[in-house]
Amino acid sequence: MIVTQELRKTFPGQRKLFRPAGPATDAVDGLSLSIPPGAVTGLLGLNGAGKTTTIKVLATLLRPTSGSVTVDGLDVVTHAREIRRRINLIAGGERMVYARLTGRENLWYFGQLYDVPRAVLNTRIDELLELVGLTDAAGTVVERYSRGMRQRLSIARGLINAPAYLLLDEPTLGLDAPIARDLRAVVANLARDGVGVLLTSHYLAEVEQLCGHVYVVDRGRLVAQGSPTALTAGTRLPHTVELTLAEHAPAVSAAVAALGAEFEVGVDAEERPTFLLRSPEDLAGELATAVVRAGGAIVRLEVNPPTLEDAILAMAGASPAVGAESGRAAVAAR
Amino acid sequence: MATALPTLRRNWLVTMRAYQWTYFVGTLATGILTVGLAYLAFHAIGGGRAGGGFAAAAGTADYLGYVTVGAAASMFSVRMVLWVAKAQITEQREGTLESQVLAPARRLPYLIGVGLQALTTTVVEVVVMLAFAIMIGVRLPAPDPVTLLAAFVAASVAVFGISVPLSAIMISVGEAHITQNTLFVAMGLLCGFTFPPGYLPDPLRWLGEALPITSALRALRAATLEHAPLSAAAPDLLLCLALGLAYLAVGLRLLGPAERIAIQRGGSA
Amino acid sequence: MRAALRVFAAEGLKQHRRIFGSKLVVFSMLLWPVLTLATTYYTVLPVTEAPGAADRWPLVAQPGRLLAFLAAGALAYTFFFSLVQSAWHFSWERVSGTLEAMFLTPASRMALVLANGSSALVQNAWLFGCFGIAAAVATGTLHLAHPGMLAVAALALLVPAVAWGAFLNSLLMFSRDSAFLYTLLDDPLWFIAGVRLPLFALPVWITAIGLAFPLTTSLVVLRGALLDGKDVGDLAGQFAFLAGLSAVLLGLTALLLRVGERHAQRTGSLQLF
Repeated sequence: MIVTQELRKTFPGQRKLFRPAGPATDAVDGLSLSIPPGAVTGLLGLNGAGKTTTIKVLATLLRPTSGSVTVDGLDVVTHAREIRRRINLIAGGERMVYARLTGRENLWYFGQLYDVPRAVLNTRIDELLELVGLTDAAGTVVERYSRGMRQRLSIARGLINAPAYLLLDEPTLGLDAPIARDLRAVVANLARDGVGVLLTSHYLAEVEQLCGHVYVVDRGRLVAQGSPTALTAGTRLPHTVELTLAEHAPAVSAAVAALGAEFEVGVDAEERPTFLLRSPEDLAGELATAVVRAGGAIVRLEVNPPTLEDAILAMAGASPAVGAESGRAAVAAR
Repeated sequence: MATALPTLRRNWLVTMRAYQWTYFVGTLATGILTVGLAYLAFHAIGGGRAGGGFAAAAGTADYLGYVTVGAAASMFSVRMVLWVAKAQITEQREGTLESQVLAPARRLPYLIGVGLQALTTTVVEVVVMLAFAIMIGVRLPAPDPVTLLAAFVAASVAVFGISVPLSAIMISVGEAHITQNTLFVAMGLLCGFTFPPGYLPDPLRWLGEALPITSALRALRAATLEHAPLSAAAPDLLLCLALGLAYLAVGLRLLGPAERIAIQRGGSA
Repeated sequence: MRAALRVFAAEGLKQHRRIFGSKLVVFSMLLWPVLTLATTYYTVLPVTEAPGAADRWPLVAQPGRLLAFLAAGALAYTFFFSLVQSAWHFSWERVSGTLEAMFLTPASRMALVLANGSSALVQNAWLFGCFGIAAAVATGTLHLAHPGMLAVAALALLVPAVAWGAFLNSLLMFSRDSAFLYTLLDDPLWFIAGVRLPLFALPVWITAIGLAFPLTTSLVVLRGALLDGKDVGDLAGQFAFLAGLSAVLLGLTALLLRVGERHAQRTGSLQLF
């Protein structure tokens, strides 16, 4: 288990020659998380949330300013070296691999640095190349790889030490859709095999699909946590139900109004009447029953429950300093 | 001139905004240390004199003056070549070569623009180096101004001339480091910057004569060390100009095909 | 120790791929040094022909010995400068992102910089090393007290060079403007270390600064052992000094690595200077 307690990370202001240092910035401000083995935990953020900073602290690349971070009971400051054996970090983008080495050589290089037992290393390299679909390109120098191939190699590098905990910082950023889907399957399998995964991603559908528990942070502070379902429910966002009738039926409007939910009436492209209903609960069943009883003939019924993305957008809107507009822009800009 | 002046202005602005101190310090150090080496060797080993063979081969007994003029000319050549020959490969690396080639402007005015701007900065840099030489006690006799000016023009044409085919080589092979440094090291040995080319075996001496800098250097030394009138330096000046223009003509012929190769390779240099 | 050896193997492969395949090594490590050597020889030739020069520096009486003196300088300089180049490349790893990947691993940082330096040295310098020895044998300028001095000379060149390489790696790894350091260590290095001039020709203050660079003393040992037939006893003082200097450089390396990584962990920036 990775546990952070009251984690705080302050970056000192930049020193400039003959000028006083700039103001310090609090990137992470009293964050307490736990990342259990065998599950994918999500870390979502609004603007400048401190997600990458948090991940780098967990990866021993940064030291906490205060608070504590332990990995299986070992402190990140005093036992950094031991922790480095147990964790690995995969960041989005195709950095972190050597262009002059082949795919296999890159993995061998890092395997040596991680001191992966010799008896295991070659088999593991083969497995990882297979996993990320680079078996055929294993002997090609990375210079000739496409961006997606480099990124897949980066992912294999992050698994070379068979980490007990894997930190994923926007791992699918810029990946082609099928490869991103494969990666999600890999992550789900790793968690099933007992690896503790921390995932940050702008692709909220990805988080919703993979994560059992999600932390939402804003400017370094925790603003919400829970399962994606609980988070979505917690924001009390409306379910929407769209209904189209075959033809106009006079009693239907009154029947829909009787349900007591907010609704809009309109017509579709073929001049057929439509109803758009919003309510905190899913009212599709009640709506259909009421319409049919009022003599309406339904040709189309569509139900849209709120998504995690809607929930995050709502939280961004509610966050006082972020403001609805900029929060929306941040999530929408992905 | 319609292309030369805007190019000059653009490069001037870029230079003023982001002056490459590292390059300057690098070439300045080479110049100063070359003079420093000669100075220390002259005093500590030569006892303040050079051997008789030197005067015969160099046409002057002034060893320090000889080396100082050579080091200044070397710095001048290296800086000019770096500016002019690397102009196009820099455009290629920054991804602007294609838009260059697309524009109807011709290459020569563009390169002249680069060259003129380079002259202004390079002259200042060379003066800094000469100031150091004078500071440590090197004395240059009052030069013949007309011959010096003519030699300066000839030397400019010479370095400009060899930069153009070099630029073609650089963009077509997509590499500058090996090409430029091999030229600099070869020039150092062949052109007589720091010793009379007469010391070299004959084949190398003739190879040196094929580079216009060698004759430019003779003219520069005639102007600065021997106070030679224009007529005395004329043969070297003419040889230098002829060679420089020949290199330029060959270079301009090569640029077109080189640009095509460069663009085909996809500017991945 | 075993883990450190694995780091050496890994860095060996990386340097091999970086350097060996490229044509650059033939140019930068053989052609350029040889042409520069010839230029240096001809540049100092006029003063060595001056009347009385042989009284001030007996070596110049024989042009072959002068050339060998300068060639030994070029050889040692090529070795040491190859480490400057390699450190400069190492500093690029910060920009390209692989340095962070390296810092993620539990590998010993000291092992990493030592491995990087020594494999760069082996990859770069073998060509000129072989050339130098072949040239010395062919021209008959090699003058050894006994054959073992060849190994002693190699040791006096390689051990300080590796310490120097590790120090530069740790220095440039955390430096903002490594190009500037690179320039600073190019020409000034040969000047102050007596590569192209005997140390007696340099002003005292330059010699004093030069002593801080291991190249200076390595070169004294190299020339003494290979060209002047000196034995271990004659060079004991220089050996002790080189050993001390190498230890100081390694100590500074350890300190820089510690301070540099701490700084990076505190500020999030791998740039210390």
